[in-house]
Amino acid sequence: MNGSPPVVRLDGITKRYGAVAANQDIRLDIHSGRIHALLGENGAGKSTLMGILSGMVQPDSGRILIDGQPRAFRSAREAITAGIGMVYQHFMLVKAMTVAENVFLGYPGVLLNRRRMEETVAQLARRFGLDIDPAARIGTLSMGERQRVEILKLLFRDSRVLIFDEPTSVLTPRESEHLFDALRRMAAQGKAIVFITHKLDEVMALSDDITILRRGSVIEGLATTAVTSKHELARRMVGRDVLLQVQREPYEPRQLVLRVDGLSNAGLRDIRLEVRQGEILGVVGVAGNGQKPLVEAICGLTAPAAGVVRILGEDWHRFYTHRRWDGNLAYIPEDRRGLATCRNLDLVDNFLLTTRQGFCRGPWLLRRRATRKALRLIRDFAIQPADTRISARQLSGGNLQKLVLAREFFRRPRLIVAEQPTQGLDIAAIQDVWNLLLNARKAAGILLITGDLTEALMLADRLAVMSAGRIVDTFPVDDADKLDRIGLMMAGSAA
Amino acid sequence: MNGEFFIPLLAAAIQSGTPILFATLGEILTEKSGVINLGVEGMMVVGALAAFWIAQSTGAPLLAFLIAGVAGSLLAGIHGAVCLWFRGNQVVSGLALTILGTGLADFLGTPLIGQSAPGFGPVHLPTLAAIPILGPVILTQDLLVYISLLCAPLLWVFLYKTRWGLALRSAGEFPEAAAAAGLNVVAYRWLGVLAGGALAGWGGAYLSLAYTHLWTNGMSAGRGWIAVALVIFAFWRPGRAIAGAYLFGGVMALQLRLQAAGTHWPSSILLMLPYALTVVVLVLAARLERGSEAPAALGINIDPHE
Repeated sequence: MNGSPPVVRLDGITKRYGAVAANQDIRLDIHSGRIHALLGENGAGKSTLMGILSGMVQPDSGRILIDGQPRAFRSAREAITAGIGMVYQHFMLVKAMTVAENVFLGYPGVLLNRRRMEETVAQLARRFGLDIDPAARIGTLSMGERQRVEILKLLFRDSRVLIFDEPTSVLTPRESEHLFDALRRMAAQGKAIVFITHKLDEVMALSDDITILRRGSVIEGLATTAVTSKHELARRMVGRDVLLQVQREPYEPRQLVLRVDGLSNAGLRDIRLEVRQGEILGVVGVAGNGQKPLVEAICGLTAPAAGVVRILGEDWHRFYTHRRWDGNLAYIPEDRRGLATCRNLDLVDNFLLTTRQGFCRGPWLLRRRATRKALRLIRDFAIQPADTRISARQLSGGNLQKLVLAREFFRRPRLIVAEQPTQGLDIAAIQDVWNLLLNARKAAGILLITGDLTEALMLADRLAVMSAGRIVDTFPVDDADKLDRIGLMMAGSAA
Repeated sequence: MNGEFFIPLLAAAIQSGTPILFATLGEILTEKSGVINLGVEGMMVVGALAAFWIAQSTGAPLLAFLIAGVAGSLLAGIHGAVCLWFRGNQVVSGLALTILGTGLADFLGTPLIGQSAPGFGPVHLPTLAAIPILGPVILTQDLLVYISLLCAPLLWVFLYKTRWGLALRSAGEFPEAAAAAGLNVVAYRWLGVLAGGALAGWGGAYLSLAYTHLWTNGMSAGRGWIAVALVIFAFWRPGRAIAGAYLFGGVMALQLRLQAAGTHWPSSILLMLPYALTVVVLVLAARLERGSEAPAALGINIDPHE
């Protein structure tokens, strides 16, 4: 720690929701010019703590000191005025508006000059190396691009303390590197950076200070230089050894479940790939290079404009128009809150969303049978809390993802499309999801779209690298030569 | 069709469409803030009564017009309280508002039936009125027509060129994002609800101060509902609201003229025309698949605890 007084000091912050203490007597200091990692599993209370700091949540007791002065934030505006800005895990962007409009939202000034707004944003983006089109609508941007908009919002407001909630969970390795450069640049300019993460590599690589939270309390606060290894950090964080190792059985590809040949669509050019039962094909690349359109074409959300997509031996049009598919295809979307589940429905209803076979008699739903089944899945997949009556929004990200996997795998699909399946999950949940996917591989072919290269290397049998809407190359994961050049391929150079 | 039929018809279309234009602009503003208010009909008719009553007792039509806006806002305030304070169902609250407003106006207005009040007459601009077609159709209207025509670009400038408009739209698209940006989302929704009510009240005032100078019960005759439908037809854009309002005004005026001319069509069928057109227009709007242009958080209340 350096000698200067902290820009923010949290002093004994406590917040309870009913009987649960989300934060219990939290004390920590945030210094300007330093990057502070806040480490903890899902449900450890990180988000509540940052909500308190950013004025969105009011603490029950405790003080926030800004430059040594106690301050109480009754609203986000007060925190913003005090120079504290936050990049949320679920982006706070208006989809129907442009990048520039989102950046200027809530900013003083009366008249909005479109061109001047866009120029200002473009300049800011250039200064921090955040590549973005200020006139683009948010709805057309990838998750990685949306995050850049969130960061631009903070930079535009000259925030002194920037808080990032799981900033790299939506980014590819290359994008993450860009983000880290930007973070370092901001810290070098005297900003205080707080980032919440599960990724230990990032903590080690990026942070100056580390605070570990567990079950609402600060377990430890230490300087990164004092940490000897990643494993030590993981053990302190979860209170048990998580080594992130998975059991991978040998690869034995059988019949073809997905064949894409010459697929071209908006954002896609001449895609060729094959997935066989018993293998995982990992599609890696920088976000926004065609992964989204590829998934949408395969999962029936957009029709292929040209080329062949054969799913389980059936042509795309036949497969999706003859609605007799009996759950052969499972789609695990990136946006599990928006696309995979209905937030206000209970867990049984969410279970029944994609799985009704065996739970219907004529027009009637056999809810009791479905409840029993759902409860068993909840136990098998160790979903917490084990209660079918709560609604999906009450589950944490990791538990929600496990629910989605439980539901999709229950149908014994033969083709699984998993899109960023561990994004934003804690280490224990990531390990669970990885093992579940590897297990499912026995009966199915899996197309894994991921921005996390570690995940791809851990799970996939073969890798396909995407860049600018094309598959640059496809190769087995043990091809060390090509693995070395994967960064170049993602950047678009031919294999 | 000759000029003697057509030019008065166009002029009448504008007169008949003006109250709808006011109300449509008001509902666009309200819906852009994320609140759907189905009480337009009620707010219009209360505005009409308030305007008539003030005009009759003070003899000052302009004051009466302004008060009608206040009356519309007051009624909209009930909707605001239900939806923004108590987070009640916006659809039910709006329907209740229509029933309350029409009932209230019928009750308070019954003693006034058949009476007249001073209002607005055509503006005489000698040189401009002589311009062929344009002169008799647009340039000899009353003051309120011009105010309504001015309201459309003003609303557009407000929504798209000012930071308050940006904030109000964000409250209708993604209130959480607006709140995270430090905006008081509920306040912007109040602005949308109250200002929208004022515009609906003005639409009503046009009916009792300019369209007729007499009081009859049920004066708004479903125009509020047409305005609600027109918001969708206009894709929430003020400019298109003008075209839509005059289209409906034209059908209403045509229907009256056909009745007066004595066709063999039953009058009930002719009376149905504007409302049948409403259905057609909604189907058309849906066919164009522009429903996605609705504010994303329309009709969804803001829960301060989430």
